[in-house]
Amino acid sequence: MGFLVIFNWSWLLLSVLLGFAMGWIAVVHRGRGVSKRTSQWLALLAVAVVAAALAHLIPGRPGYWLDLAMLIFAMYILGCAAGSWLRERVLARVTPTS
Amino acid sequence: MHGLFRWSSKWWPGVIPLAIVWALAAWISTSPMEADLAARSNAALKDTLLDQTRIEVSGRDVTFTANAFSEDGRRSAVAVLQSVAGVRLVNDESRLVPEAKPFVWSAERDVARVTLSGNSPLPATKGKLLDAARATLAGVEVVDQMKLSRGAPPRFDTAALLLVEQIGKLKDGKVILSDNSVTLSGMARDLGGREAIAAALKNLPDGFSVAANDIKAPPYVFQANKDPVTVTLTMSGYVPDNNVHATIAAAAARKFFGEKIVDNLKASMGAPSRFLNAVVPALGALSRLSTGTLVVTDREVKISGDALYEAAVPQIRASLAKDSPEGWQIKTELSVKPAAAPVDPGVCQQLFSELLAKGKIRFEPGRASIDPDSAGLLDRLIEIAMRCPTANIDIAGHTDADGEDAFNQALSEKRAQAVTDYLVKAGLPAGRFTALGYGSSQPVASNDTDEGKAQNRRIEFLVR
Repeated sequence: MGFLVIFNWSWLLLSVLLGFAMGWIAVVHRGRGVSKRTSQWLALLAVAVVAAALAHLIPGRPGYWLDLAMLIFAMYILGCAAGSWLRERVLARVTPTS
Repeated sequence: MHGLFRWSSKWWPGVIPLAIVWALAAWISTSPMEADLAARSNAALKDTLLDQTRIEVSGRDVTFTANAFSEDGRRSAVAVLQSVAGVRLVNDESRLVPEAKPFVWSAERDVARVTLSGNSPLPATKGKLLDAARATLAGVEVVDQMKLSRGAPPRFDTAALLLVEQIGKLKDGKVILSDNSVTLSGMARDLGGREAIAAALKNLPDGFSVAANDIKAPPYVFQANKDPVTVTLTMSGYVPDNNVHATIAAAAARKFFGEKIVDNLKASMGAPSRFLNAVVPALGALSRLSTGTLVVTDREVKISGDALYEAAVPQIRASLAKDSPEGWQIKTELSVKPAAAPVDPGVCQQLFSELLAKGKIRFEPGRASIDPDSAGLLDRLIEIAMRCPTANIDIAGHTDADGEDAFNQALSEKRAQAVTDYLVKAGLPAGRFTALGYGSSQPVASNDTDEGKAQNRRIEFLVR
């Protein structure tokens, strides 16, 4: 895992920044989100994919691409969480004064 | 935390550019990463003893193909690869080098090359053997047909290196090492080579033994060639030692009075028994030929060439058979030189005088028996006498002044008669020759010195 992070650090950083931006926007976004049921299905899919990657079920290049996808997605989620959290903090500080 | 769940439902639009980032990352990074993993995997295996190692990387999975020399070596190579940072899986397709039973290695030499074949335990051993062969046989092509196998006996390297050295002593032949036993065949390059190989084989490492040593010694050849055009006797080949060499050189100098003697003989052991007793009479036979070759090989004397006249052929054969040591084989291929053109009696006299100026007919001291060393000279005198069949010839014997006159007179007569008898035996008519003895009455030099006396002891041919 350490090797993957070191080797693909630039792509991972890009994913974090993308996630951060998406998280930042998500707090004030007025559009429809993903339904709860869909979220559950997506979470189940994520677990299955993580399990497949950890069990080394997919060999060769596709296996590497799966590992990479998992890592990029994880960085994206972390970025989203950080972005949303920070935006929420910023809004909370600004609202009482206005 | 609740807010985070709420907002997360709106994070999905970023997944679309994220997919693009992932696709780009996969497209750009896969090949460099595979190359990096392959380079580090190969570097990690650098110190591991393997043959035909191949590393293929697909994604983060390494496919490892190699021939290992032991099960432990194979396992440790796989472990080394698994510990390379970034490697996810190792597909082990390595196998053990096949085991040879019996473990056979061989070295074969012919005129042009040396071929090393059979089994070698390790690449390093193979390299050592090839290097040793090149060093031992400088200038000879060394062909490598060895394959790597397991199952070599302990101390194989030492034994095989010793055998490579022995190949250098062979003219042609083969050395086979099968497990612990050595088989040798072929012919040694030099005399004494067979013995040197046998001595070296005593240094084989413990546990190794010689199953068969069929190395043959090269033939022990002595050769002499009489060339009437260059008036040269050339001797080549081997003699047992320097004493025998000196004896043969002295015998040749006595028997070949007119020829230049070229001596290319080398002293070497391995001569057949009674070598000298065979060579000296054979040189005597050669001295009686106009042109001829003498080859003494092991226990065989082979003489070929042209005798000076018909009757000489059976005489040469008979004397060779009588004088050669027992157990030796004599082969003669003798023909007769075409008769020379007849000449006037005056020319005959000149030819006799010229010949007798170069060489003298020798006798046993104080006796009238002709020394066998003079056979060559007598044959030449006979050949001249045959060229002037109408001339009558006086054969005059002379002695030095030592001893009583009556004895010297009688000795000179007997010696002249002995020479006459020899000529008659060769087929010349007895009526053409008159044997005369002059004792010491007609000296040609002073009788006060040994040199002068030697000149006075003589046989003269006078054409009437």
